[in-house]
Amino acid sequence: MIDAIKKVPLLVPLVLVMVILSISTDTFLTVGNLENVLVAAAILAIPGMAMTFCLAMGEFDLSIGSTVSLTGVVCCSALIAGQPVPIALFLALAVGAVIGLANGVVITKLGVTPFIATLATMVIVRGASLAYTDGHDQIVSSAGLKYLVGGRPLGIPMPIVLAVVAAALGWWTINRTRFGRWVCAIGSNRDAATMSGLPVDRIRIAVYILVGLSGGVWGLLISSQLQKGNGQLGLGFELDAITVVVLGGTALLGGRASIIGTLLGAVMIETIRNGLNLLNTPPAYQRISVGLLLIAALALLAFRREDRGAKPKRALAGVQESAA
Amino acid sequence: MTTETIIERTGDKPAKISFGRLWDTWGVTAILILLLLCTPAIAPGFLEVENLQSVLRESAYVGIVAVGMTFAIASGAFDLSVGGQLALTSVVSLMAFSGGGTAAAIAAAIVTGLLCGLVNAGLITRLRVPPFVATLGSLFVFRGIAYLLTQDGPKTLPYSQIHSPFVKLGSLNIAGLPLPFIIMVAVFAGGWILLRRTAIGRRTLAYGSSPSAARFCGISDTRIRLFVFGLVGLTVGIAALTYITRVWTADGSAQDGFELKVIAAVVLGGTALKGGKGTLVGTFSAVFLVSVLNEVLVSRGVESAYQRIVLGCVLIVALTIDGLRTRFAGPGSFRRAITGLIPRKTTQATS
Repeated sequence: MIDAIKKVPLLVPLVLVMVILSISTDTFLTVGNLENVLVAAAILAIPGMAMTFCLAMGEFDLSIGSTVSLTGVVCCSALIAGQPVPIALFLALAVGAVIGLANGVVITKLGVTPFIATLATMVIVRGASLAYTDGHDQIVSSAGLKYLVGGRPLGIPMPIVLAVVAAALGWWTINRTRFGRWVCAIGSNRDAATMSGLPVDRIRIAVYILVGLSGGVWGLLISSQLQKGNGQLGLGFELDAITVVVLGGTALLGGRASIIGTLLGAVMIETIRNGLNLLNTPPAYQRISVGLLLIAALALLAFRREDRGAKPKRALAGVQESAA
Repeated sequence: MTTETIIERTGDKPAKISFGRLWDTWGVTAILILLLLCTPAIAPGFLEVENLQSVLRESAYVGIVAVGMTFAIASGAFDLSVGGQLALTSVVSLMAFSGGGTAAAIAAAIVTGLLCGLVNAGLITRLRVPPFVATLGSLFVFRGIAYLLTQDGPKTLPYSQIHSPFVKLGSLNIAGLPLPFIIMVAVFAGGWILLRRTAIGRRTLAYGSSPSAARFCGISDTRIRLFVFGLVGLTVGIAALTYITRVWTADGSAQDGFELKVIAAVVLGGTALKGGKGTLVGTFSAVFLVSVLNEVLVSRGVESAYQRIVLGCVLIVALTIDGLRTRFAGPGSFRRAITGLIPRKTTQATS
């Protein structure tokens, strides 16, 4: 038990928050509500998995929120144009992958810093989505698309099934495959990885494609939920995706990844949102709480690093921070 | 590296003026002048006095914050929270104005801006949170507080106050130049002196090029962070004054995506993302390059959605040049950057 807590420090605050919410509201601890929390957490955890790879590599992708919008729009307008559901889904995922590929190529081949490159694609993709929809909603009513969120194979909500599959794949890839090891190697020291002959550029591009694809899945889930796509969807989602991963304990400077942590991070965020809703707090508090949570998690991480003595010299820790 | 590089480096002659070095400082300015020379052809009516005044006035608040951001990026850190700071500062300042008039509004804006900056610096130095995430988190906190303060609707300047001196801040012209533009030029001048003529400016650059080396030279990183983020907060305070007297209203969603505009301007201007190099001349020209480009697009009837796409592409192209140049840093880098467009494996130390 103690071992588990050490590995996933988020467990304690999560249980604490859940206990507080169960006592202070009558509605939190009901099957219906818990299912809502888990479905929302599952939707957030899927892109969280891909983002875990990205952060383990020591990089960010800020364009994922815009990818959500554009892929949702692509899927909905394909359906409106009379395409069958599988083709619409495929098109959306393909668009997500292309955005990821573009990010990867710009970052690795043109040498643009990931932060700025994905910031630029974030604007470009958002612009494309707004331009394509001309500011209107693309409303669909498709039972096939609805199944992505509303379906219940074996009585379990579809997003939870997808998230569990994604988490299992993610865990396996990070811990049991060469690719996962390479990603962590690049995250801990890219120069060393290059000098050891790893195909660094190709791995980075692959990770960005993965993030783009997961953004596509996220966009599909969101449009499935709302039965529409528009240029405004997914605003600020990049912060959510990064927060989930960072909360889960994946090191911001790369080199370490925790898939289970990411899962719990998603549950944590959605529990807090759900709790704030049940307690009737205004939406502004939700923004503040996500921001505070992010800062608190990182401050805790920094302190733990010092306690363990893994970074004995302050000077050293500072150097790495400024490199991030 | 080729032999010619070595010969150039070991030569005894003082470094001759290279195109690359000139480009670093004046490249954006040259492009801006080129664009301005083209405007009569592509956007008739652009060069009319009223239109130019409006461009200058609109650029002011981005430009003022860009001064602070130039310091932040030169020190090797981003401040992503400037949008939240601007919203919060504007809201607080408007509340102070309805309570205590012009002086209170100005004081409130400056103090709130500074406080926001100090909060960021505290998060980074005391809690040891990396600047990127600290300011990402505080962006949401600041915006959230601004939303909380404006739950009953956005704060506005009442129309009855149209003759108060505060409102004049945004609308007055002195010798044909809008006051916000004059304030911006003053802030740039102050920033230039700080960066080039004072110890703290030099220390900021030193810290940006190598934090550990700077530390070994006795430069305190707490002080650098306090100075840099405090300065960003201060410039946001000043910018908020020109912003609210221009648009008369503010709420939590004011200037969404502001941080992108500011960072884009600084980076376009030629301040290196890795820190250690900052050019306020470049930032100044880049601010106008972006707003002139926007104005031209608007007058050509291009929709705002496409304007985003153009801005993003301009950013990527500019940074590609920057990335290729740092990759082949040294004399003759320009030529090698162009021949270096063919991809090849390289080592990059920072991400």
